[in-house]
Amino acid sequence: MRKHGKVIPLRLRRPTPQRLAQFGDAARQLQQERDTAANVVERLLRDTPRERWHELAPRPELQSCGALERLGNFATQALGRDPRQALSAAQLAVAVAEGLPPGLYQPVVVAQLCALAYKDLGKALLYLGRFDEALKALDQAEALLAPHGALMHDVAIVQLVRAATLQEVHRYEEAFAVLASAKKIFRNHSDAKRVFICGIAEGVLLHRLRRYREARETYLILLAGTSNSADHESIAALHLAIGYCSVELTDFNVAEEHLSRAIEMFHALGQPLQAAKAELGRGRMFVRRGDLDRGIAHLYPIRADFLRNSLTEEAGLCGLEIVEAHLVRGSAAQAEALAREIVGEFMAASLNRRAISALGYLAEAIAARKVSRELVTDVREYILSLRTSPEREFTFR
Amino acid sequence: MNSPTTARAADHSFEAIYEQYFPLLAQIAVCKFHVPDADAEALVHDVLMGYLRKSEDIVELRPWLIGAICYASRHYWRLNGRTMGAEAEMMGDRVDPASLRILDSLPDQLAAREALECLKPRYREILHMRYFEGCTVAEVASRLGVKTKYAQKLITKCLRRAERLYSQKGRAR
Repeated sequence: MRKHGKVIPLRLRRPTPQRLAQFGDAARQLQQERDTAANVVERLLRDTPRERWHELAPRPELQSCGALERLGNFATQALGRDPRQALSAAQLAVAVAEGLPPGLYQPVVVAQLCALAYKDLGKALLYLGRFDEALKALDQAEALLAPHGALMHDVAIVQLVRAATLQEVHRYEEAFAVLASAKKIFRNHSDAKRVFICGIAEGVLLHRLRRYREARETYLILLAGTSNSADHESIAALHLAIGYCSVELTDFNVAEEHLSRAIEMFHALGQPLQAAKAELGRGRMFVRRGDLDRGIAHLYPIRADFLRNSLTEEAGLCGLEIVEAHLVRGSAAQAEALAREIVGEFMAASLNRRAISALGYLAEAIAARKVSRELVTDVREYILSLRTSPEREFTFR
Repeated sequence: MNSPTTARAADHSFEAIYEQYFPLLAQIAVCKFHVPDADAEALVHDVLMGYLRKSEDIVELRPWLIGAICYASRHYWRLNGRTMGAEAEMMGDRVDPASLRILDSLPDQLAAREALECLKPRYREILHMRYFEGCTVAEVASRLGVKTKYAQKLITKCLRRAERLYSQKGRAR
């Protein structure tokens, strides 16, 4: 309270020995737990069938912050590879966190552990396309953090997942608002990395909404902010994104400038496959510009490059650019043949069956000569969206 | 796996961080947000406990901790039923860096007091109003009979002057 007229003595506040000792003990305990959990969690998960992971929750070796961190890391790493496995790991983490013996940690730490377990659960559910359940898990995470003002940084981390989930259920305005809130919190914590991630997420959301000009603006602002940083990978990724937006905006000179820069930077970084993605952008640019033969000639070697590196999905997406070019040129037979070829590649690689169905639908539509350029775009965007929502249904315009 | 020696060194560094930042964070909670002493210490402890698990993820520790204590302090008042004024809310979003520098650079109370005593009376009075009586910038302006913007300028000027004097004192000691 402000006390006018009354002098509040200025004095330095030192931590009490008890608090300092408590903190030191917590630091030591965490270190020990991390060391102990290093092999235990992976071994337990490896030795137990996934359907029975939930039975592991009461195991004494999992009742620690270190074990929960390992479970969280496991769930995160499994997301791209096998979202169901990620879900099982996250469910186990939630069960462990909720059953931690009382008094083992201070309330603020327990809230942090439980909330992050729910956040991982939400993320796994998001990847599985179970959006309502994901949102409920994220609500739970935020409710656990709510009584602890010191954990706002964790709240913002949960909000990042919420924003990704909201856009999947087409609640775009809410997604923007949540991203803005998270960005503010990260900025106030000087967490430049996550402020950058929020910016990228905003750009991706705008891109998804086909608001290419705003998306490009967002990326350009981020690029201006990172121009002096040493993170060349992020800068190259931004050039790539600006290039892609510029292609959509038919702003081909700008697209060429940024895509060329991205290609140059990815090569310098020793990332030829990322450079190939930027080359794919240039191929798309040629097609959009009406330079169809050049576009097709440019895209075939990139597709072959992806296939050589077993990047079947990337090769398929690149192939769809060629299919589009063939269709615009009036070569429906070639377009159909290539579409079927892509279906075969996806099946051989056992990729998402929904992607295979969408591609099959496209091939049939070409065969029936009932296809538009937009359908190819829809299929391409659908396949891309399956990366974050593998269970999403295909809807076409 | 870390060796016991490395682990011990890490523990000591955590304790050193605790000791180093506790005064600054407590000062922010108390002076900027007027959180009562005992509660401020609990908030700082929570902030540092929250940091512990994420230590490897935090690049800039000092601003991260300052951000966290600002959020914790505002949350404290929300829970305790006091709505903070617009100015305090604004302060929480972007804490006045000049005042933080001063607070951060107070290794002992005496040097700060001496520095304040060496200031011109008018400067001393302004800092007294702002940081000892807890007046808002608008209140300082009204008591001085100047505009708020000018009062903010004066406060910053006084802080810089105090900081310079304080540095000189520090070096002399």
